[in-house]
Amino acid sequence: MSLAELARVSRPGPDTSRRDPSAPFRHVDVLLIAATLALAAIGVLMVFSATRGAEGPVDTSFLLRQGGFVVIGAVLMAGVALVDYRRLQDWAPFLYGASVVLLVLVVSPLGSASKGAQAWFGFGPFQLQPSEFSKLALAVGLGALLAAWEGDIDLRRLVVALVVAGVPIGLILLQPDLGTVLVFVAMTMAMLLVGGVKGRHILVLTVVGVIGVVGVLNSDALAQYQKDRLTAFTDLEGGSQESTYNVKQSIAAVANGGLTGEGLFEGDQTQLDFVPEQQTDFIFTVVAEELGFAGSAVVLGLYGIILWRIWRAAQLARDAFGRLLCVGVMAMFAFQVFESVGMATGIMPVTGIPLPFLSYGGSSALTSFLAVGIVNDVHMRRFR
Amino acid sequence: MERMDDAPGLRLSILGIVVISLFGALFARLWYLQVMATEDYQQVTQANSVRTITEEAPRGRILDAQGRVLVDNRTSLVVTVDTEAVAELDEADADELLLGLATELTDFGVPTKVSRIERRLTDPQYSPLQPIPVAVDVPEELGIYLAENADAFPGVAVRRETVRTYPHGTLAAHLLGYVGRISPPEFEAKMGPVDDPLEDVAKPYQPDSNIGKGGVEQVYEDDLRGVPGITRVEIDAQGRVVREIDRQPPVPGNDVQLTIDLDVQRNAEAQLARQLEGLRGSTTRDGKTRKTPAGAAVVLDPRSGGVVAMASYPTYDPSEFVNGISQERFDRLTQVDPSENPLTDRALYGLYSPGSTFKLVTAHAGLVTGMIEGNSTRNDPGYYDIEGCEGGPEVCQRQNAGRAANGSVDVPRSLTVSSDVYYYWLGDRFYRESATYGDGIQASARAFGFDEPTGIPLPGEAGGVIPDKAWKAELAAAIDGDPTWYAGDNLNLAIGQGDVLVTPLQVADAYATFANGGTRYQPQVAARVLRPGADPADPTSVVRTIDPVVAGTLDLPPRVYDPILEGLAGVPVSGTAASAFDGWDHDAFPLAGKTGTAEVGSETDVKADTALFAAFGPVGEPRYAVFVLLEEAGFGSDAAAPVVRRILEPLAGQAPEGPDDRPLIPVGGASD
Repeated sequence: MSLAELARVSRPGPDTSRRDPSAPFRHVDVLLIAATLALAAIGVLMVFSATRGAEGPVDTSFLLRQGGFVVIGAVLMAGVALVDYRRLQDWAPFLYGASVVLLVLVVSPLGSASKGAQAWFGFGPFQLQPSEFSKLALAVGLGALLAAWEGDIDLRRLVVALVVAGVPIGLILLQPDLGTVLVFVAMTMAMLLVGGVKGRHILVLTVVGVIGVVGVLNSDALAQYQKDRLTAFTDLEGGSQESTYNVKQSIAAVANGGLTGEGLFEGDQTQLDFVPEQQTDFIFTVVAEELGFAGSAVVLGLYGIILWRIWRAAQLARDAFGRLLCVGVMAMFAFQVFESVGMATGIMPVTGIPLPFLSYGGSSALTSFLAVGIVNDVHMRRFR
Repeated sequence: MERMDDAPGLRLSILGIVVISLFGALFARLWYLQVMATEDYQQVTQANSVRTITEEAPRGRILDAQGRVLVDNRTSLVVTVDTEAVAELDEADADELLLGLATELTDFGVPTKVSRIERRLTDPQYSPLQPIPVAVDVPEELGIYLAENADAFPGVAVRRETVRTYPHGTLAAHLLGYVGRISPPEFEAKMGPVDDPLEDVAKPYQPDSNIGKGGVEQVYEDDLRGVPGITRVEIDAQGRVVREIDRQPPVPGNDVQLTIDLDVQRNAEAQLARQLEGLRGSTTRDGKTRKTPAGAAVVLDPRSGGVVAMASYPTYDPSEFVNGISQERFDRLTQVDPSENPLTDRALYGLYSPGSTFKLVTAHAGLVTGMIEGNSTRNDPGYYDIEGCEGGPEVCQRQNAGRAANGSVDVPRSLTVSSDVYYYWLGDRFYRESATYGDGIQASARAFGFDEPTGIPLPGEAGGVIPDKAWKAELAAAIDGDPTWYAGDNLNLAIGQGDVLVTPLQVADAYATFANGGTRYQPQVAARVLRPGADPADPTSVVRTIDPVVAGTLDLPPRVYDPILEGLAGVPVSGTAASAFDGWDHDAFPLAGKTGTAEVGSETDVKADTALFAAFGPVGEPRYAVFVLLEEAGFGSDAAAPVVRRILEPLAGQAPEGPDDRPLIPVGGASD
């Protein structure tokens, strides 16, 4: 007899719900929420350090905006708890379809380009990046599909799943935003794995993927600067100035941090603005330089706690859809952390990927909070 | 379906293991970078450094009284070498770089030796933290060539600098001064110690900044200098600029508008040079050869003390100092006899006997002390016997020039005909009656502004000497001479001879003081400071106005003023300068003046006299006081007065039409 059944037997009656041990709000994952909020707080501080300016009046505009994103994100995270995640399964076609429409619109003249990618909608001072939100749509859409097949996935179904994942991936490649594509690939692979795709199919997919990457790098599909950027980390001394600059600066900043860091607002590389994009994709260099190995370990530890709690929620989930949602989110976070920290430390190619909760940016912050909200939702409702 | 029961758990575990592996990799990498290998990578950080590049701001322009540009700026291309970048090269590469650079410079028309570049790079005057200029004024094509072949010339860069340009060549060179690289003492005066410079200096200097040297460029340095621009760039290990961090653009310096009038200045210089060069080698009426090595001319506005023109001969070309003058050339200019040094502004530093132009002072002394009245007469037989003097005529008798007799003279006539006897008599009386009248001549001289610098805001002005008993005693103590103040000393002083020394500017200022009724102004060269590049006619462009400064007042009641003015006004009409001003329209522009002829040299070293002439006009409401001095040129009436006339002619509307073919020496000049 499960705990939930026990509860229903021992505590009947309509007005006892408050003391009902299976009531969702008794099962909020406090540790997950606490780690999330702690990371977001560190993130706001790091964004401030990266953008306050070395001299002259302190620039607080990034601080205030990022603070606002975190507050809105936290409210959204709480709001998600009010909705049963299983409703998402019903809405899956709509959510998935809406995200595809947005991805189509963003590469149309309606979207705006920045830093070489057509990835944003401009709303006055704010910019919406639909590819961020479409990661959640992928988790919901692919999750609903795989859950419906209950682990019985033949080649035909696999192809359908790959098409479902491939449509947004193709649209994002049009922007082009290689980093987000890789996140999609990681999420898809993880969800296919847990969703029950046959082992040999997984193996074939992996081999095809590796061959594909090598093929793309050796073809003319990517511009030379993109290839340089992707391969620069393997050859810091020999690469061209432009392609290795960011990585060299970033590694130097990380090394500068040492064991205990140079101190908040004291990082030379950070305060002198040596590392381009240091408030967004390269935010980890700020953590590493100013807070050192100790601070980096704390930040990675917090990510570890979050991933552990998501993994645990996946295990405890009462249904396949909840489990797949958690796996999608887990893969998303894990890959983004690995890629973002990896490129800052020179072991991964430079691709534009935000570090969840730390990088400056509204779309990323809101997506990350929503993702944690969904996982918490699955965790809360594991008994009913 | 039984596969599905345990498969998710297994597969989740696989996922967990993958994630744990990834995190393990990240921790390992961080541990390696931040703890194990941190120093290796930190070196990379230090090599990537911020460099501050200062960019000198354009200096303000210097304008004449009518707003015409006297000193402007132009752009010069400068090739610089970054010593840090050269130090990174191994010795062979560095040698090859400098050789290649010297070759290119020479090929593009800037002959350069490697050794010269090497000397420059090790010159302690240049900061090794800044790119060091090795060639200036290089052609545009070389700039393009070096930029296109930057890889072959690591550390070599081309930048634009604004340098001084002089649209009127040597015009007013002494007055304007020049611009040169700041010297270590100048740097310390502005910025404090070199290794710990002051931080909050409004217009900071670099050790290789330019600074005004001499003249207006030096005195109005703080107005003319702009605020240097500061660009912070990031430099990689190879010394290449990776990117610009921020930039504060340079702020140009303010323009300075002078009291100098370009036309008057040009004319004064031309007339001075024309007379000196024209007379050179000719013979004076007393049989001496004119060497005319030097001279000075000053035109003041008696109403304000403003310098309208100030010329010194010989002169130099200030554009030689642009981009730095070579030591060799500088030595040629300066390591000559001081009397021939073209850098010396004789109007300010030249010390001369004023001769008879000093009689203005002696007449004032006699009248203002009440010793004489304007109509006090004295017979001038051509010589004067010192009263109570025991000894032969050689000791006790003084003569007029040429022993000319003037008959009965009073104060006006004594000035008009320049009677020495009258002033010997006054000098003798001041000697014998010092109990009553004190050192009257010295007192008047000081009231006229002699014996101290006029205070003109130009560097290094000389003060001159007005000898008195105390001065002679002091001199005697120093050279172990005779300390006694004799009657002869007083007689010499009375006619502006002997030990009295004055500067041309002092004489001009003294006559300007008399001309305006007794207000002694400190001469000024600048009138206003204007916003850079602004229209001088626009009142809103004025940053500040330089007001006239009263340095003192002269006691000049009518019973003193009237007889002296009468005497001076007679000089160009019927007196010693009458022939020089033959044909001058005295009704249209009444003039007053005084000739002077100062003896120099000795029996063994015969030299022609110093010729002097001071004048002001128009009498009644004088607008100009002019003084001209020609060294070793003979009589003032002959040599100096014609120059004054030619300076005044355009100002009085009396310039002759067509070429000036009048003789340099007027026919029938007087012996003074």
